Amino acid sequence: MQDRDRTVSEPGFDDLDALFGAARARPAVPSDALMARVMADALDLQPAPRVLAAPPPAPPGLWRGVIDFFGGFGALAGMGSAAAAGLFLGFVQPTGVADLSAALIGGQIDSLSLMPSVDDLITEVTP
Amino acid sequence: MDMPRDTTTEALDDAPDEALLVLYANGDRLAATALTRRLVPRVLGYATRLLADRAEAEDVTQEAMLRLWKIAPDWRSGEAQVSTWLYRVVRARLRRAATTLDDAPEVADEGRGAVAGMIEADRMAALDAALAHLPDRQRQAVVLRHLEGLSNPEIAAIMDIGTEAVESLTARGKRSLAAILSGQKAALGYEDEE
Repeated sequence: MQDRDRTVSEPGFDDLDALFGAARARPAVPSDALMARVMADALDLQPAPRVLAAPPPAPPGLWRGVIDFFGGFGALAGMGSAAAAGLFLGFVQPTGVADLSAALIGGQIDSLSLMPSVDDLITEVTP
Repeated sequence: MDMPRDTTTEALDDAPDEALLVLYANGDRLAATALTRRLVPRVLGYATRLLADRAEAEDVTQEAMLRLWKIAPDWRSGEAQVSTWLYRVVRARLRRAATTLDDAPEVADEGRGAVAGMIEADRMAALDAALAHLPDRQRQAVVLRHLEGLSNPEIAAIMDIGTEAVESLTARGKRSLAAILSGQKAALGYEDEE
């Protein structure tokens, strides 16, 4: 396009491009007042900064209530682990555990009375 | 005007106009400063050369920038360049104030009187005076092409004409300018340089 422009006959003045170049090198200098007016408009019309709202807290559910009841997730995890270990030992009954029980108790126990009979109590209190 | 400058502002100076406009719409004040510092001189230069009246050119510049601030939140990315859009706003504003352009010959006469000196400012005054002699559309095309440095397709978008028409307008405008300035070569100091 520029080349096409240059082919145009320019009667009597052949330094137009140099004049344009000099003009481009002297950009318009806005006055302080104009810059202040434009900036004032910009700030007046500028939308407020967007702030991302925090998501609302989730409503407490059933599991949350259960976990809180037992003292938190850590406590519940400990209880769960203990329960699982007890079930495992109860079903498997490993030999080592049986031997340990025998050693501690000291032999076969045929019967064990956990509730003394009423007659024994009466005998003791009778002078 | 001494606009605030810091590292962040200088980083914004390298950002495209459209990115700055998005930042402005999101509430970034530094983007407003960067856009003002970048665009106001360009719009003012264009308006001044078309209006030949500094005060009115400043009003037109402020009005164009005002419209930019208003449209910023709804700016549709990729549809137009920000600077091209501003030139269109200025051009539309000047078409409404067409009566102002009828006064151009008087300004041209003042310009001729100013070419008595041989300094560059006088050459610029002579160029502005010669531009004021051109028909409206030729002047717009020449200013956008040769003083604002826009491409012919960009000028076509601003003026709502085809690129062939832009080429024709700029060519005829340059011929007319050359003819007007030919009688002032001595006054402008060109013959002394040859």
